[in-house]
Amino acid sequence: MNFKKLVENLGLNDDEFLEVMEIFIRTTASDLDRLQSAIVVGDTRQTAEAAHAIKGAAGNLGFNEIYEMAKALEEKARENSLEGAAKSAKTIRKKYEEIADKFR
Amino acid sequence: MEGKQNPTLLIVDDSPLSVALLEKMLRKEGYAVITARDGPQARKLAFEAKPDLIILDIMMPGEDGFKVIGHLKKNARTASIPVIFLTGRDDLNAKVAGFDLGAVDYITKPFHGPEVLARVRLHLKLSLATNSLIASQASKLKQLKEAQTSMLTEPDDLPRAHFSVYYSSLLEAGGDFYDVFPISDEMFGYFVVDVSGHNIATSYITAAVKALLKQNCTPIYGPTESMRMINDVLVEILPEGMYLTACYAKLNRRKKLLSIVNAGHPPVVYLPKDGEARLIEQVGDVLGIFNEVYYEQHDIRVSPGDRFLIYSDGLIEKPPLKKVWCECLPELLKACFHVRDIPIRSLAPELARLMRDERYQVNDDVVVVGVEV
Repeated sequence: MNFKKLVENLGLNDDEFLEVMEIFIRTTASDLDRLQSAIVVGDTRQTAEAAHAIKGAAGNLGFNEIYEMAKALEEKARENSLEGAAKSAKTIRKKYEEIADKFR
Repeated sequence: MEGKQNPTLLIVDDSPLSVALLEKMLRKEGYAVITARDGPQARKLAFEAKPDLIILDIMMPGEDGFKVIGHLKKNARTASIPVIFLTGRDDLNAKVAGFDLGAVDYITKPFHGPEVLARVRLHLKLSLATNSLIASQASKLKQLKEAQTSMLTEPDDLPRAHFSVYYSSLLEAGGDFYDVFPISDEMFGYFVVDVSGHNIATSYITAAVKALLKQNCTPIYGPTESMRMINDVLVEILPEGMYLTACYAKLNRRKKLLSIVNAGHPPVVYLPKDGEARLIEQVGDVLGIFNEVYYEQHDIRVSPGDRFLIYSDGLIEKPPLKKVWCECLPELLKACFHVRDIPIRSLAPELARLMRDERYQVNDDVVVVGVEV
């Protein structure tokens, strides 16, 4: 994860980047909650939407692991499959916590 | 930009992160930014604040970007505001659909800062240029139309091509045109084009395509090759977001062979002298968007007296009824039955007259080219 390059790419200064990170941490936390409860109740549409939101946010900030996992999860959910979804969601949350810890 | 100091941009995205990123990038460049989280809010803001440009996410829960742009384009107050779509990197379908609905460009997620800024700047400039052109140069546009019309081949210019034509252009510079040209002594080419969108850029494309036809529709190349080569050039020269549908028919009178290639255009109607009219349905990519294109060539053995028709979708679409062209084809075949015995000279105008529905205002260009073997 090369934050310096990322910040440059987006044309933001450090303060702005921290502000954006704060939004990422906040919205992704709630998207993850939404994702995991959707999986528990077997709601594929909600699962896809939550995964889509996480994918977009992670992609924009260059968190590629989360992006790829969320993307796969979204695609499967759109095909009405939640196979392995709970496990992927858990891994995404773990990756997310690692990033969030660095910025807290 | 109506006397405002800085251009105002409306950003519409359900993701707060996307909104924040775009907002920060664009504010830095001095733009005024307003934001909306969903479709209804976006439409309300667009109407009230009349921004200079809208950046619109496609994938939003509830009312998605396609629906939003549909509403915006229908409302006179917001119809001319350029819209740039936000799409996923690989979503080609969304990109094409976006252009069809009137978007001027797209930005892919994840964002790349300089790219976002460049596209916004470009479309603000284009929109400003177009607006001032339209406002102050109406007379120039008129000249343009005259020039464009003078480029069209009339049946009397080329009597041996045995065709008739109906051409009606809605705006000063039309989005449809056709060309008929000799390829060799016994071969003629018939080409009908529909340019997506109506704007000032369309007119130079008419001239460009005419030149391309001359270069590429020669005895050496088959129609499929000609179409491919024309596509390759158009991909380079068309402004992003603009594309053409076209149909090219090559008639070899000596061999009695008709070859047709279709690039996303409504199907040719073939009217055998003694037989039922039928549609020549073909697959083929539109021109000017894709580097790799596929065309299917349809060859027909023809006899003297057979006729065929190439036309633009304006002939058969009925927007007020929300009918797209494929639904109106049976009606067209019926109309062809009525005109089967009239002289070729009157074929195209008569068919256009039959297909016109007096109840609705025509709101597209119409081209009909009728040919007799």
